[in-house]
Amino acid sequence: MTALLEVRHATRRFAGLVAVSDVSFTLAPGEILGLIGPNGAGKTTLISLISGTLAPSEGEVLFEGKSITHQPAFRRARLGIGRTFQIMRPFPGLSVLDNVAVGALFGHGGGQAQLAKAREQARSSLEFVGLGKFIDQRADELGGPGRKRLELAKALAMQPKVLLCDEVMAGLNHVEIDEVIDVIRKVRDQGISILVIEHVIKAIKSLSDRLLVLHHGVKIADGTSDEVLANPTVVQAYLGKKRT
Amino acid sequence: MKAWQKGSLVVALLVLVGVPWYGSDVLVQFGISTLLLAVLAQGWNIIGGYTGYASFGNSVFYGLGSYGVAIAMVQWHLPFGVGMGFGVVLAVVFAVLLGIPVLRLKGHYFAIATLALSQVMAAIVSNIPLAGQNIGLVLPPLNNDRLFYELSLGLLVVATLTIFWLTRSRFGFGLIAIRENEEGAAVMGVNTTLYKVMAFALSGIFSALAGGIHAYWITFLDPDSAFDISLNVKMIIMAVFGGAGTVLGPIVGAVSLSAISEFLSSEVTSIAGLFFGIVIVAAVVLMPRGLADMFRRFRKTGWRYFSENIRAHKL
Repeated sequence: MTALLEVRHATRRFAGLVAVSDVSFTLAPGEILGLIGPNGAGKTTLISLISGTLAPSEGEVLFEGKSITHQPAFRRARLGIGRTFQIMRPFPGLSVLDNVAVGALFGHGGGQAQLAKAREQARSSLEFVGLGKFIDQRADELGGPGRKRLELAKALAMQPKVLLCDEVMAGLNHVEIDEVIDVIRKVRDQGISILVIEHVIKAIKSLSDRLLVLHHGVKIADGTSDEVLANPTVVQAYLGKKRT
Repeated sequence: MKAWQKGSLVVALLVLVGVPWYGSDVLVQFGISTLLLAVLAQGWNIIGGYTGYASFGNSVFYGLGSYGVAIAMVQWHLPFGVGMGFGVVLAVVFAVLLGIPVLRLKGHYFAIATLALSQVMAAIVSNIPLAGQNIGLVLPPLNNDRLFYELSLGLLVVATLTIFWLTRSRFGFGLIAIRENEEGAAVMGVNTTLYKVMAFALSGIFSALAGGIHAYWITFLDPDSAFDISLNVKMIIMAVFGGAGTVLGPIVGAVSLSAISEFLSSEVTSIAGLFFGIVIVAAVVLMPRGLADMFRRFRKTGWRYFSENIRAHKL
């Protein structure tokens, strides 16, 4: 099976700091790939390189076999790459429904031209993530967990082929985490590939088909979750070296 | 919109259309200048209110529209309509050429960059012989205030309908998304550069048309009056006072502030000069989201509305 998304030797430097260094990986259709690593490992930077909000200093990003390295963010969105932001980017003055309707109006394939239809599509995305009751509220009146779900609904309304989730579970309690895991599984069941950044190891372990570990911008492991979590380099990156 | 609201809008429009037939000359003249200001405020509303880019460059479009009409009529002896078209072309070309670099800036930087544009344009135009250099141009007089009034009113209606369309179209949603969060808009598929330039151009078209009508009405034009930054400040105050990013707010702002300013300058001249300054300070502190928002929220929160706004400023 050919990869839906492929990153080849991606490097991103911020002046002297190398945030992502020579990272390569692939994402297969219908796969859930977990991306983990300590704080500052370069996870969000990697997602930004894929979604186009940052350009790589070196390397290539391929989507469906074609290079999208030099495409602006909006083109990539129209090709079918949706993302959420860890630091949420809602449209605060708009209603929850209209926030999501923007995704339906633009999004994959250029989106829906008609506002009424876009709102309909937005409504079903909101119900899907469990925000059906809040559609008439202003986005800035939502609490933290609500905003996380709103980010997800906005990305889903774009009807993407790939969903990049940047810590959609951070700050949620156990019940809410389980609900979001459920939502992400259902998204995958629709055939959408997912790259998910998460800190809650238990959550990501049960969710992902495969794990990718970044540390100081370098990929240190890539494999099934059991393999990866048993890997001594990974353990060391998270917990430090055992004193002998 | 409810039926009675639609009805009262139609009645208000009919009353306005009839002004030249039952109003005095002074009222008609006040009407023309107020309607043109309202058009300018609506034009600014597109780029400033809906897209979130506080433009100080709209007086350039106004000047280009004025000069378009003046050059076409005086130098080339073409009809007024052709001049208006020429002004619009100039405005769109300017919006695209300068919009692409300038719209990369955000917030205060964008405002400051556009602030310089009208000074630069005044300096350039005063060196162009075709535009009459420093001396300016005198247009053929047309003593028909009724026509100018109806033209201005028609233009305001078109501008307002355009904004109404924005609130329910894909394009308008793209602009609002840019205003609310530009990066968030881009990753959702909004072509932010194209949309910003288009909003700038659309905003410029209305300013240029207003400038063209004004030039033909006043029949005289020089660089300083055409590229007047205080006019730009006025349109911003009117739009923000009435409610930037709303369909009718800028009109309410333009009409109410023009009326008060007109009254003051004839009755209490000493305060008139201070008036717009006071309005800016009071509006920004007490009702930063404009009259439209105040009316909507005042019913719910009462006088607390103002104290909450003051507190939000951390004064």
